[in-house]
Amino acid sequence: MTVTITDLTPGFVGEVSGLDITQPLTGAQVAALEAGMDRYGVLVFHDQKFTDDQQKAFSRNFGPLEVTAGGNVTKPEQRRLEMDMADVSNLGTDHKPLARDDRRRLFNLGNQLWHSDSSFRAIPAKYSLLSGRIVVDRGGNTEFADMRAAYDALDDATKAEIEDLVCEHSLIYSRGTLGFTELSEEEKKMFTPVRQRLVRTHPVTGRKSIYLSSHIGTIIGWPMPEARAFIRDLTEHATQPRFCYAHKWRQFDLVMWDNRVTMHRVRRFDETMVRDMRRTTVAGESVTVEQLAA
Amino acid sequence: MKLTPLHDGFVAEASEIDISNPLSPAEVEAVEAGMDQYAVLVFRDQPLTDEQQCDFTRNFGELEQTLIAQMTKGSERRLQPMEMGDISNLTASGTLRARDDSRRMYALGNRLWHADASFRATGAIYSLLSARVVPSKGGNTEFADMRAAYDALDAQTKALIEDLVTEHSIAFSRAQLGFDDYGSGNEDKVRPVRHSLVRTHPVTGRKSLYLSAHIGGIIGWPVPEARAFIRDLTEHATQPQFTHAHQWRVNDLVIWDNRTTMHRARRYRDLEEVRDLRRTTIKGTTLTAAQVPAMAAE
Repeated sequence: MTVTITDLTPGFVGEVSGLDITQPLTGAQVAALEAGMDRYGVLVFHDQKFTDDQQKAFSRNFGPLEVTAGGNVTKPEQRRLEMDMADVSNLGTDHKPLARDDRRRLFNLGNQLWHSDSSFRAIPAKYSLLSGRIVVDRGGNTEFADMRAAYDALDDATKAEIEDLVCEHSLIYSRGTLGFTELSEEEKKMFTPVRQRLVRTHPVTGRKSIYLSSHIGTIIGWPMPEARAFIRDLTEHATQPRFCYAHKWRQFDLVMWDNRVTMHRVRRFDETMVRDMRRTTVAGESVTVEQLAA
Repeated sequence: MKLTPLHDGFVAEASEIDISNPLSPAEVEAVEAGMDQYAVLVFRDQPLTDEQQCDFTRNFGELEQTLIAQMTKGSERRLQPMEMGDISNLTASGTLRARDDSRRMYALGNRLWHADASFRATGAIYSLLSARVVPSKGGNTEFADMRAAYDALDAQTKALIEDLVTEHSIAFSRAQLGFDDYGSGNEDKVRPVRHSLVRTHPVTGRKSLYLSAHIGGIIGWPVPEARAFIRDLTEHATQPQFTHAHQWRVNDLVIWDNRTTMHRARRYRDLEEVRDLRRTTIKGTTLTAAQVPAMAAE
């Protein structure tokens, strides 16, 4: 089958048709999808009834999977899914919605902030692939923002100012923004800040993008409040409607995005309803900047 | 006095009035009526001394002492009267603040959307900001219309928020930027106060969203859920159709009603250029929500 990609948002979001991605793909099909990811940044597939194993197999076409350890406060015995599946649902092991004040739920509310997956890891993620197993009727959209277009639209003075800036990213910062500050010593250690360039260049297309994320807590060499005020301004610029796409989920949609060139966030929904989303993540290949020695 | 709309139903330029001299009761009434009809009024070419600014401000109520003046020793203040808000990037001796100056860090909180003095139990009514020295580029003040933002909410959201009560503190807004250096003896000044999220203007009867970066929680809600929701509301309320950017000229005076607006300052080259704005503020007179007596900051 040939891969057909049509524009949902020109140059940013494409819809793929004519392909059953629950089944093994040919090398040419994988290459076509990679080319599509480079051209767009976000690809949408409908009616893909994945099992977890099929989702992992599809994801591995694009590289090794990232291990989810270190990215959450959910304890191993509280996990609903295997280690290489990120549980982006609002469910506990009993498959029922978590209580309003459940610590895991409050932590996961951080996903309502604009972010790039795993920017808190020294080697951050390449692609994320999110499968909608059970979706909600109202709310719960995932929104995407194009960090290449946002970079291109900056004025020259700002481009020059940010060119060599390096930021610190940690889950401590994004969760701190929402007042989630009670972390165990073990969690604090797990969430030790890492460094990322603020401007990164895509390895295939060579296009520059702003590497923003709610996980950013400061800019190296800047006073923290000045850094945060500036990052907020950049984030506001980069998430203007003209750079964004809102995905309204249908059951069995799969959306994949390139974390190197996008941010995303989930919108509020009625959390007494079941929303079962499962994410696989393709590991990145390299650091964006030298890290501090541990 | 003549009013020329700058942003439909929200911001107008007031002309044909000299506010440096005592106003007649009719003039005071005209300004107040303009404030009720709009919410932000811009007066151009009004050179004011601090005394003249205070005199003009007193037409509208009692002056408030600024929180930062209350928290700072007199020897560290550039402007001595506690009622003159020093919205500048200058030290007590008049030099530019250094990059890591604690007062500069504190003032960076003004770049977050807020309503003045919402961290006080009675909030503030008007703020009046006079531009004495302005930078060549940047440093706009932006305003957002919380009445229009309220009106544009869907019915379900209006019902959800109608009776919500929020907690406000200067410490919440500053913590967003990673600042928590208030000096000892100021603990009572950062204690949270409570406000209704929806308030009604006493004259016009219009409802508005009472949002502010000083909000840290909603009573009865888990903190992260409250903050995520307040962020969503703030994003809604500060969309371009509800906002107006004021580009400062020397001797501008802008008045806004903190009960129906939010505002913020934008970035400028504050390590290189002077921006000297001076604010006077009309004290609020009523609570928007019942306080927890032992907690309320005054």
